[in-house]
Amino acid sequence: MKLTLNIWRQAGPESEGQFETHALDGVSEDMSFLEMLDLLNQKLVMSGREAVAFDHDCREGICGMCSLVINGEAHGPVKGTTTCQLHMRSFSDGDQIVIEPFRAAAFPIIRDLVVDRSSFDSIIMAGGFISARTGSAPDGNAILVPKTDSDKAMDAAACIGCGGCVAACPNAAAMLFTAAKVTHLASLPQGQPERQSRVLSMVKEMDEQGFGNCTNERECEAACPKEISVATIAQMNRDYLKAAIFTD
Amino acid sequence: MRGNLGRALSASIGKKAWMAISGLLLVGFLCAHLAGNLLLFIDQDGSAFNAYAEALSSNPLLPAAELVLATLFIAHIALGLKVSSQNRDARKVRYRVSANHGGRTPGSATMLVTGVLILVFLVIHLLDFRLDDSTHGDMAAAVRKRLGSGSGAWTYGIGIAALGLHLSHAFASAFQTLGLNHPKYDNAIQLAGKGIGVVLGLGFLAFPVILYFSSGAA
Repeated sequence: MKLTLNIWRQAGPESEGQFETHALDGVSEDMSFLEMLDLLNQKLVMSGREAVAFDHDCREGICGMCSLVINGEAHGPVKGTTTCQLHMRSFSDGDQIVIEPFRAAAFPIIRDLVVDRSSFDSIIMAGGFISARTGSAPDGNAILVPKTDSDKAMDAAACIGCGGCVAACPNAAAMLFTAAKVTHLASLPQGQPERQSRVLSMVKEMDEQGFGNCTNERECEAACPKEISVATIAQMNRDYLKAAIFTD
Repeated sequence: MRGNLGRALSASIGKKAWMAISGLLLVGFLCAHLAGNLLLFIDQDGSAFNAYAEALSSNPLLPAAELVLATLFIAHIALGLKVSSQNRDARKVRYRVSANHGGRTPGSATMLVTGVLILVFLVIHLLDFRLDDSTHGDMAAAVRKRLGSGSGAWTYGIGIAALGLHLSHAFASAFQTLGLNHPKYDNAIQLAGKGIGVVLGLGFLAFPVILYFSSGAA
């Protein structure tokens, strides 16, 4: 199939960016979206031009590196799918595709479609871990975890930290990401000792990184490639308010 | 964390919680306001409505109630503007194409616009019936006159439509912000929110519509 691509190009963090149009022929519907960009880059390099920079790593939908806003949708049009797992069969011959980087003040552009998501690392460093020494792996039955709790923790832990929630949020808020991490640890016994201080510090860091405020539009949930529920946001709000009011 | 209460409640989630609480209390006020207004339709001469207006304005607790109400409105509006401005700063460069991923509703996408419209309407409404002393003798007649005119009916119609749209997102959003949500009853809250928007919206809208068409101006 033949496509017209409108791609955001930006030489560096401080440079002015602009859209560049490329006609791309010979795209197979079996290609992933990133393979389609590989094909474009091959052609660009062969003709002596700079390749389009984009983030990717595992290409299996589990690492959280790929990004892109495709025709206005974070990770493209298919629900519950990362850009690397999006295939060109979701598009039609002759389509025009607008490809933009994730846009948020807290995700500055490094180059072209690559953004710096280390603000997420800062949120994790503020409390997204358990600091108690746990020793070697305990006996499987030593700490009993109800199945519903482990399911809830596992659903939240499915977050790959890609930042699609921020990209899709009309306010560039990082609530779904932070809430997934908070809910994951708050659902397990090992997360209890630091539950209150964790939620307070992680939300504080989230604010300081310059993310927006949640207006409960649920665009994050709809865009999330791992389909993390906004129920995690309700849980984080609950934990946060409880911790803010009742913590010593 | 001791001593951090103020800081925690002024952070993003804290601000949203104040907005949610003030908003829910304002919904309570709107319900009482609508119930009182409906007295206008009880009789022809408006004596029930006038008696209600008189009872309200002669109540010694009125200034205190108005102070609370004004505080709620001002807090809700100021926080809304603050949050909106922070949200604009959080994405300085907008997307060229921005699609709905499936979460946005007409109500949720227009909260700032409807909020500002409601504020303008609130000022007009206060000037019409609260700050204009000439209306205090026969409030029912003043309401019929103002809402029965073409400009009045349109002004109130637009203000109330904005209110209904605002509420269609606001109510459920407030519950989510306060953490009072769970997949078990999420649908019920969403439905209740839309229902409150429709009931209060149509309830208040009945006044300009009925008064305009029964005034003979139509």
